[in-house]
Amino acid sequence: MKRFGLLAFLAVAVLVAAATSTGGNSRSAAKPFAGVTVNVVTFTGPQIAEPLQRRAPAFNKLTGAKVNIITVPFSDLYEKILTDAATGTNSYDAYVFDPQWLGDFVPAGYLEDLTSRVKADKKIQWNDIGPFFRNFSATFQGRTYTVPMDGDFQMVYYRKDILARDHVKPPATWDDYLAIAKRYNGKDLNGDGKGDYGSCIAKKRAAQSYWMIYSIAGAFLQSLGTKQGAFFDVKTMQPLIQNAGFARALDIYNETTKYAPPDERNLDVGATRGLFTSGRCMFSLDWGDIGTLAIDPKTSTVQNKVGSIILPGSRQVVNRKTGKLVACTKVTCPYAINGVNHAPFAAYGGWSGAVNAASDTKTKDAAYAFLSYMSQPAQANVDVTLGKTGFNPYRASQFKNLRLWIKAGMSKAAAEDYLGAIRRSLQSPNMILDLRVPKAAQYEGVVLDTALAQFLAGEISRDHAMKQITDGWNSITDKVGRDKQRAAYAGSLNIQK
Amino acid sequence: MTTEATSANRAAKPPGFRSRIETWVGGQSERLVSAAFIWPAVLLVLSISVFPLFVALYLGFSDVELVRGGFDIHWIGLDNFRALFSGEDKSEFLGVSGSLTPLGWLVIVAGLGLFAWGLVKAARGGVALVGLVFRALAVVFGAMLLWQVVHTLLAHGGRPGTVVTTLVFVCTGVALQFGLGLGLAYLVTLGLPGQRFFRVVFLLPMTITPVGVAYLFSMLMDTDKGPLQPLFRAVGLGNWSWANSAWGARIAVIVGDTWQWTPFMFIVLLAALEGQDPEPIEAAVVDGANRWRVLRDITMPAIFPIALTVILLRLIEAFKVIDLPNVLTSGGPGTATESMTLQAYIQWRSLDIGMSAATANCLMILVTVIAVVYVNLLRRRAVADA
Amino acid sequence: MTRPLARRSTRDISPRAKLLAYLVLGFWSLVVLFPLYWLVVTSFKVPIQVFDGPKYIPWGDFKPTLDNWRYIFGPLRNDTLRPYENSVIVTAFSSTFALLLGSSAAYGLARFHYQPKLGTIGLVFGCFVLGAGAVLLGVPLPVAVAAAIAAFLLLAKLLIGRFRRTISNRDIAFWIISQRILPPVAVVIPIYVFFQNLHLLDTRTALVITYTAANLPIVVWLMRDYFNTIPLELDQAAAIDGAGRFRVFRTIMLPLSVPGLVAVFLLVFVFAWNEYLLALFLTSANAQTMPITVAAQNATRGPQWWYMSVLIMIMIAPVIALAIALERRISRGLLVGAVKA
Repeated sequence: MKRFGLLAFLAVAVLVAAATSTGGNSRSAAKPFAGVTVNVVTFTGPQIAEPLQRRAPAFNKLTGAKVNIITVPFSDLYEKILTDAATGTNSYDAYVFDPQWLGDFVPAGYLEDLTSRVKADKKIQWNDIGPFFRNFSATFQGRTYTVPMDGDFQMVYYRKDILARDHVKPPATWDDYLAIAKRYNGKDLNGDGKGDYGSCIAKKRAAQSYWMIYSIAGAFLQSLGTKQGAFFDVKTMQPLIQNAGFARALDIYNETTKYAPPDERNLDVGATRGLFTSGRCMFSLDWGDIGTLAIDPKTSTVQNKVGSIILPGSRQVVNRKTGKLVACTKVTCPYAINGVNHAPFAAYGGWSGAVNAASDTKTKDAAYAFLSYMSQPAQANVDVTLGKTGFNPYRASQFKNLRLWIKAGMSKAAAEDYLGAIRRSLQSPNMILDLRVPKAAQYEGVVLDTALAQFLAGEISRDHAMKQITDGWNSITDKVGRDKQRAAYAGSLNIQK
Repeated sequence: MTTEATSANRAAKPPGFRSRIETWVGGQSERLVSAAFIWPAVLLVLSISVFPLFVALYLGFSDVELVRGGFDIHWIGLDNFRALFSGEDKSEFLGVSGSLTPLGWLVIVAGLGLFAWGLVKAARGGVALVGLVFRALAVVFGAMLLWQVVHTLLAHGGRPGTVVTTLVFVCTGVALQFGLGLGLAYLVTLGLPGQRFFRVVFLLPMTITPVGVAYLFSMLMDTDKGPLQPLFRAVGLGNWSWANSAWGARIAVIVGDTWQWTPFMFIVLLAALEGQDPEPIEAAVVDGANRWRVLRDITMPAIFPIALTVILLRLIEAFKVIDLPNVLTSGGPGTATESMTLQAYIQWRSLDIGMSAATANCLMILVTVIAVVYVNLLRRRAVADA
Repeated sequence: MTRPLARRSTRDISPRAKLLAYLVLGFWSLVVLFPLYWLVVTSFKVPIQVFDGPKYIPWGDFKPTLDNWRYIFGPLRNDTLRPYENSVIVTAFSSTFALLLGSSAAYGLARFHYQPKLGTIGLVFGCFVLGAGAVLLGVPLPVAVAAAIAAFLLLAKLLIGRFRRTISNRDIAFWIISQRILPPVAVVIPIYVFFQNLHLLDTRTALVITYTAANLPIVVWLMRDYFNTIPLELDQAAAIDGAGRFRVFRTIMLPLSVPGLVAVFLLVFVFAWNEYLLALFLTSANAQTMPITVAAQNATRGPQWWYMSVLIMIMIAPVIALAIALERRISRGLLVGAVKA
C-alpha cells in the first residue's frame, strides 16, 4: 500500500513537472528577445530620454529584451557616437539622434538598412507617418535608415487673445511680423504692470539660432518645392548665401532684436519658452514644444491664449541666376498661398532612432523592435501630447485625433489651431529639409553660427557675414570634395540621378 | 642627550619587520634609493601624458577624418596654422588690428624699452651666449604679443581675438585671485574667534564642478530673472544686459572665475602660513616687533617660494579657461569672450580635429614660453634672495 | 622646539583692525554663500517660478516643492546613484595614488640631486614612445612593454655614455608641470584610442590611471615647496640616528608637512571629482561620473536649473564634508617627533 502511494506521488510529481515545464516553454516562446540587451544612446533628458526610459520596462515585459538608455550631454552627442562607431568601440546598439547626421553615418556604413524590416512591420503603421518625414528624414538615397519618433519643424506662436482683442490678423509675411512686434513691444502683455516684448527668438551662440535664421530666410530662398533645396545650389554646390534674399533675412533677424528682451542675443530656447509661457512675449519662433508647454500649469500662465501659424513667408523670392529678389508669381512661386510664398522649415528633422550595423543580428532585431514600439501610434500618440517628452507630432493620426489633445489639457480651439498649423506645414510641398550632408555640423554649427553671432554683436557687417559664411562653407565643401558633397546633398533631397 | 636616549630606546626594542625592510632598503646605494622615490611618478607621467602630447603636436599639422575603422590622418603641413594666423580664422584668433591711440603708443614704447633694457643688462652681466640667444627669442616673442595686445585693445577699431582675450582673462584673474587669496588666508590665521567657520566657507566655491559654477553664474547674472535683478534695476541697468557688451561679458567671466578659484590660492597659502617655522616669529615677537613687521619681514619671504609656485600653477590652469565663457555666452557676444581653449573646443565638437589640435598647440607654445620665462626670472630671484 | 605654534593672541590687534578684518571676512563670506544659497533655493522651485523673476525666500516669495528632489531620487535614481558611486571610487583612489606618488617624487626633488644624462633621458623617452606607439597600433600590452624594455636594454650601453650634458632637478620639475599645459581637448582622442587598445574603455580603472597622471604634477610642485620649508638639519639628525631615507620620509617629512598634505589632497580630490571632458570620453555606460550628469542637464531645449541645482548640491555635499573634516589638519597641531631639544 505504502509503495503504491509513493509511486502515485512520484507519478503525479513528474506529470506536474512536465506540465509546468512545457507551460514555461510556451511562455518564453512568446518572448522573442529574452536574454537580449539593447544599449540605446541619446542625450540626457528629460526630453527624448524620458519616454524611452519610461517605456523600456513595458517593452521588456512584452519581448524579454532589456533596454538600457544611456545618455550623454547634448552638445557632445555628435562626436561621442561618431567616434564610438568609427573606432569600432560599438558601445551602443541603437542611436536616438538627429537625422541630419545621416550624411556622416550612412555613407560610412555605420547604420543598419531598415528598409526590409519596415516593410514587414505592420504595427508601425509606416504610412501614418507624415510623408515628409518618411521620405526625407528616414530615407537616405532611397533606403530607410531611421524610425521617426518626433516631428521637428518651426512655427510662429503668438498671443491669440491679444490679437483677437485688437482685431489684428496673425502675420502672413515677415514684414507683418515686424510691424506687429513693433506695435506691441513695451506694452504689458501679461497684466503684471511691467512692459513686455514684441518678439522672443533664441539667438544665443552655440544654441539654436542657426536654425532660426533659416526659418526666416527659407521663404526667400526656396519656392519650387523641397527638391529645390535652400542651402546650396543642387548643381554647383555653391552656397545660397550671397544674394538679396539672405541679406533681407539677416536684416529682419537683426531687427527683431529691437523688439525683444535686452539680452535676447544670449537667450536659448529654454529661456524664450519660459518667457513666452509666462506671458511676456507677443511672438516666439520655435519648434512644437511651446504648444505643449503652454498647457502645463507648472510652466505656463497662458493656457488657451496661444495661437500657432506656419512660418510667415515672403512676397518676393530670390532669382538664383541674378541673386536679386523678384515678385512672387504663378511661375516663381507655384505653391504660394494668397501670393505669399511659405517655406516651412523642418529644422533638425526630428529625433529618430537608428540601429548600429555592427551589432549582432538578434540585437539588431531587438533594437529595431524597440524603436518601432516607441513609434507605434499606441505609444507615440500619447507621448506627443506631453510637453516633457520632447516629442512633437509627426503622424497623421496625431492630427486627426483631437480627443488626444483635449485629454491632455488643450482647449478644442487651441488644439485645432496648433494641429492645423502643424498639418499645414507638413503638407506643404515647399517644406525645407534641413542640411543633411557630411559635416553638416561644421557648416551650420561652426561657420554659420559664428558668423551670425558676430553679425548680431556688431562685430562684422551684414555683407561681411555673408561672405564669411560663403567662404567658410566653400572651404569645407572643397575639403570633403565638391562632387562628393554635391552627390550627398542631391541624395538627401531624394533626387534620383 | 637626545641622541643617547633614542639609541638606548632603540636598542631596547627588537626592530619590527617594517623597520628592518626600511633599514635594508636604506642601506642600498643612495642612487637606488633616490631613484625609487621619483621613478614611479615619472613612469606614470611618461605613459599617460607624453605620448598624447606627441600625437597632439602631429595632429596640428594634419587633417583628421573620422572614417570607418578609426581616424584617417594625413599630413597637410602648415595649412591649419596658416588659417589661424593669416587665413579665414585670423580675425577670430588674433583679432582685428586698429590704429593706435596715444596710450597705445606709450605702452608699446615703454614695453619695448623694458625688454631692450633687460636684454642689455643680461649681456653686460655676463650671461653666456646660449642664454642670451634664448633671452633674445623670448624678447621677440614678448614683443609680438605686446604688439598684438596693444593693437587690438588700445587702438581705434581694434577687436581682440582669442589670444588677447585669453591673456586678459589670465592676467586679471590670477592677480585678483592671488590678492584675495593671500589677504583672506592671512586674516584667517590671526586667531580671531570664528575663524574655523570662515576657513571652511572660503573653500566652498572650488568644490563645485566648473560646469556647475558656470551654470550657477549664468543664473545669477541674469538681469531679468536672476537674484541680482533688483540691484541692476536700482542702478538703472534694468534694461541693460551685460551679455550684450563685449567688456560686460568679459567682466562677468572674470568675476565668475575669481569666485571659483580664489579658494585654490587661499588653501595653498593658508597651509603655507600655518606651516611656517614658529621660531623666527617667536624671536621677533620677543624682540618687540609688531604684527605688521613680522608679516613684512618674516612671513612674506618665508612663503615667497610657495606663492610663486601657486601663481604658476594657477597661471597654467587659467589659460585653459573654457567652462565659464562657454556656458555664460558661448564665447559671445560674437567672439568677445572666446578663449583659445573654447575656440579649440568648438572646432573639435564638430570633429575638425586637426584645426582644434593646431589651436591647442598654439596655446601650448604660448603658455610654455610664459612659464619658462616666469620660472627663470622669478624663481632665480627667489633662490638668490633666500 | 616642541611647543606647538601657539594660537596667536589677538591682544595686539586694535579693535579697529579687528572690525576691518571682520568686515572683509564677512563680505567675502557673503559673496561665497549667496550663490550657494541661490542654488539651494532653486532646487526647490518649479520651472515657472524660475522664469517669473527672482524669488528669494521659500514660503515667502514662493512655495517650495520637493518635485525636483523626488525626480532625481525617483525615476532618475539609477542614473544618479551609479555615477555617484563611480565618482567616489575614482576620485578616492586617484587622489590617494597621486598623493603617494607625488609626495615621494617631491621628496626626491627636494632632497636628492638628480643628474640624469641627456642620453638616458632621450633613450627612456624613445622607448616609451615606441611602446605607446605599439599599443596604439594594436599590439597587446605585454608585448609592447617587453619590446620597449628590450629596446632600452639593447641601446643603453650605446647611448647612455654619449652625451654628457645633464639636466637638473629644476628641469625635471618643469617637465612634470608642463604636462598640465596642454588642454584636455587636444589629448582626448589619443588617450581614447590608447585605452581602447588596452580594452579599458568605460572602466573606472582608466579614469583612475588618467586622473592620477593628470593631477600628479600639482602634488609634486606643491609638496616640493612644502618639503623645502622643512630644514635639512632634521633629515640629517635622523640620519645620524641611523634612520634610512624611507624612515626619514615617513616619520619626519610627512608628519611635519601635514598641513600641506591635507591642502594638496583636497585640491587633487576636487580636481578629480569635478573633471568633465576626459570622463565624458573615456566612459559610456558603466563608468560615467557625476560631472557628466550635471553638464547633461543642459538639454537641447535649454538648461534645467532646477534639476541641475539638486545635482550640484548632492555633488558638493561630500566634498564639503571632507573639507570640514580635514580643515582642522591644515592648522598645525602638535609637532610630532621633532628631534631638536
